[in-house]
Amino acid sequence: MMPDMESNHHLNRFLREEDQKPLQHLPYTVLKEADISQRQLDDITQVCSTLSVARSAAIILLRHCNWNVSKLFDNWFDEEDEVRITVGLFKNPPVDQFSTYGSFTCEICFETFPGGDDFDDQRISSTFCDHFYCRACWVGYISKSIANDGLGCLSLKCPHPCCGAAVGEDMIFVLAAESADKDKYLRYLLRSYVEDSYRKRKIKWCPAPGCDHAVDFVDYVGGSGGACDVSCLCSYKFCWNCNEEAHSPVKCDTVAKWILKHKDESENTNWILVNTKPCPECRRPIEKNQGCSHMRCRAPCKFEFCWICLGPWGGSHSCNSYLQGVKNESDKRKEVAKLNLDRYIHYYERWVANHESRQKALVDFQLVQDVHLKKLDRKYRQTNPILSFITEAWLKIIECRRVLKWSYAYGYYIPKHEHGKRQFFEYLQGEAESGLEKLHHCAEVELEEHINADKPIEDFIEFRTKLVQLTVLIGNYFKNLVRAMENDLPEISSFGDYWSCYICTYVNEGSATMCVMCSSQSPVHGEV
Amino acid sequence: MSGGIARGRLAEERKAWRKNHPHGFVAKPETLSDGTVNLMVWHCTIPGKTGTDWEGGFFPLTLHFSEDYPSKPPKCKFPPGFFHPNVYPSGTVCLSILNEDSGWRPAITVKQILVGIQDLLDQPNPADPAQTEGYHLFIQDATEYKKRVRQQAKQYPPLV
Repeated sequence: MMPDMESNHHLNRFLREEDQKPLQHLPYTVLKEADISQRQLDDITQVCSTLSVARSAAIILLRHCNWNVSKLFDNWFDEEDEVRITVGLFKNPPVDQFSTYGSFTCEICFETFPGGDDFDDQRISSTFCDHFYCRACWVGYISKSIANDGLGCLSLKCPHPCCGAAVGEDMIFVLAAESADKDKYLRYLLRSYVEDSYRKRKIKWCPAPGCDHAVDFVDYVGGSGGACDVSCLCSYKFCWNCNEEAHSPVKCDTVAKWILKHKDESENTNWILVNTKPCPECRRPIEKNQGCSHMRCRAPCKFEFCWICLGPWGGSHSCNSYLQGVKNESDKRKEVAKLNLDRYIHYYERWVANHESRQKALVDFQLVQDVHLKKLDRKYRQTNPILSFITEAWLKIIECRRVLKWSYAYGYYIPKHEHGKRQFFEYLQGEAESGLEKLHHCAEVELEEHINADKPIEDFIEFRTKLVQLTVLIGNYFKNLVRAMENDLPEISSFGDYWSCYICTYVNEGSATMCVMCSSQSPVHGEV
Repeated sequence: MSGGIARGRLAEERKAWRKNHPHGFVAKPETLSDGTVNLMVWHCTIPGKTGTDWEGGFFPLTLHFSEDYPSKPPKCKFPPGFFHPNVYPSGTVCLSILNEDSGWRPAITVKQILVGIQDLLDQPNPADPAQTEGYHLFIQDATEYKKRVRQQAKQYPPLV
C-alpha cells in the first residue's frame, strides 16, 4: 500500500517544525594524513627559504627543535654554529683531496677499490664530513637503520664511530636499496611531525586501532584534570586529557582508578579471601573442591583438618556442638572482603552491560543507516533528512549508554558515608536508565515492526511522535545526570572530615593515616 | 653491507691487527681441532692498565661475531662470574659502543672494541649495572672493591 499525497504532505508539514541545529564550534581540528603532510611541508618550505638551507637540512633542524619553527629561528639566529655542530650540519665540509687518484679502502668491509671511472660512484661520504665508505656498505647501513631504528633513522649519523655528521633525506633517497625503504622513511617523517611535536599536548594521534587521523587541540589548557572529549572522523571518541575512551562527565582520575581496579590483582585477592580458608598449620589458602569436610593440605605440610571448624582431624572428629566464642579474625576479614567484592561486582556488571549495549547499538545503528532507512525511504517515500529523527534517536542511545556506563564508575566511588548524595544520584541514574531502556526498545523493536509489517503511514507518524518525544525526554534525564556528575552534587551537603579508602572503599576518619580495614595509606597522609 | 661481508672484513681486520696492534693485547681467531681457522670467534687478551688496580692482570675475552657483522656488533664475553660492575653474570660485557641500539657503528674495529673495554675496566659506568656484587661493592665499599679487583688481577697472570 502506497501512502497518498495528502498524508505525505501532512508528514512534511509536521517535520518542518524541526529546527536545524547550528554547527557547534569545536576547539579542535581532526587532521587527515594529507593535512598533516601539508602542514609539515609548509613548515619545511618556510625554513628552507628563511635560512637558505636544503630540504634535508631543514628537516634535520626542525626535528632537532621538535618542529617548532620559531624556536628554530631563535636558536639559529642566536648561535648558528652551535646548532650546526649539535645536529651535524657542519659548515665548510672538508675538501676531498683524494678524489682524483689512488685506490681506496672502505673502512666497513675493508675492501679495496682501485681508482677508475666509477671511482667516485663507489666512494661516498656524508655531505658534512670526509669519512668515505663504499656504496654497498652505505646501502646496508641505511636500510638497517630504517628497518631497526624507528624514528631514529631520521637523525642518522655518519658510520664513523666519532663522527656526528648528519645523513639527511637527500642521501637516504639516493642510497636506499628499495622503494619500500623510502616509503617507510617518509612514514617516519610524518610520524615525527606528530610524535616529536613541541605541541605534544596539542597534536595527538587518534588512539583507535587502524585510524590514521591526528587531532590538533587548539585551545587546550592542560592540567585541569577534567575530562575533555574529542571525536575523531573515524567516529571514535576519546578523552584528550588521559587518552582513554571518552568518559565525560566522569573525571579522569575516577576513570583511572576504575580501570586500574578492574585490571588489578586486588579483586583476585578479594576472591581468595572470600572463597578460601588458610590452612591452620601453614596458612596457605585452600579452596574446598570436594564434598567432605576432611581437608588435607598439600605436601610438604600435609596437615589434616576440618573445613568447618579448622580443628585438627582426629579419628573421631566432631564439631557439631555449639561452643560459646567469638568469630576469629580471619572470618571477619573474610566478611568485609565479601561485602566489598559483592559491591564491586554490582557496579562492574552494570558498567559492562552498558558497554555491551553500546557496542550492540553501534552495530545496529550501522544497519539502520545502511538498510532500514533505505527501506523506509522506499516505503513511505520519505527522504533521509525527514527520517533523521531515527538517526537522532540512535545517536542519543549510543551517547547515553556511554554516560550511563561511566556513571557506574562514578557511583562506585561515592564515599560510603554520603548517603544523601548517593540516594539522590541513584534516583537520577535510575530515572535515566529506565527511560533509556524505553527509548532503546522503541528504536529497536518498534522500528522493526514498521519496516517488516505493512502499516499505514498514520501509524508511522504516531511512531515518529513517540520516538521524538522519548528522545527529547531521555535527553533531559541525561542532562540532569550529567550535571549532577559534573558538579559532584554540591547541593547535597556532606558532613564531617572523612576519607574513603581507594583500595577497599572503607570510610575512615579524617585523622586516620592508614585505612583501618586494609592498612593502605591515606591519599592525604601518604606521599606528597 | 649485503650478506657475506662479515668474513671478508674479519680477514682484513686480522691482517691489519698482525701489522700493528696495541702493546700487551692479543686477538686471534679461534683454531678448530682440525686445524682450520674460525673467523667468527676471536680469543683475545686485554691487559689491565698500568697504574690501576687492574695492572698485572691479562684478562681473557672472547668475541663472537654474527653473519650480520659489521651491521651488528660482536658479543664480547669474559669468563662467567667475572668481577666488574658492567659485566653480566654470564660474562657478557655491557658497554654503549657494543649496543646495537645505541652506540654501535659499523666502522668500529676490533682494536677499538678491545681498547674501549680496557678503558671500561678501570672506569666502570655506575649508571648501567650488570651484576649485583660488583656494583654494590663499587658503590658502597671502595676498599673491598679494590681488594677484589687486585685479587682478580692475580688470578689472570700473563701467559708467558
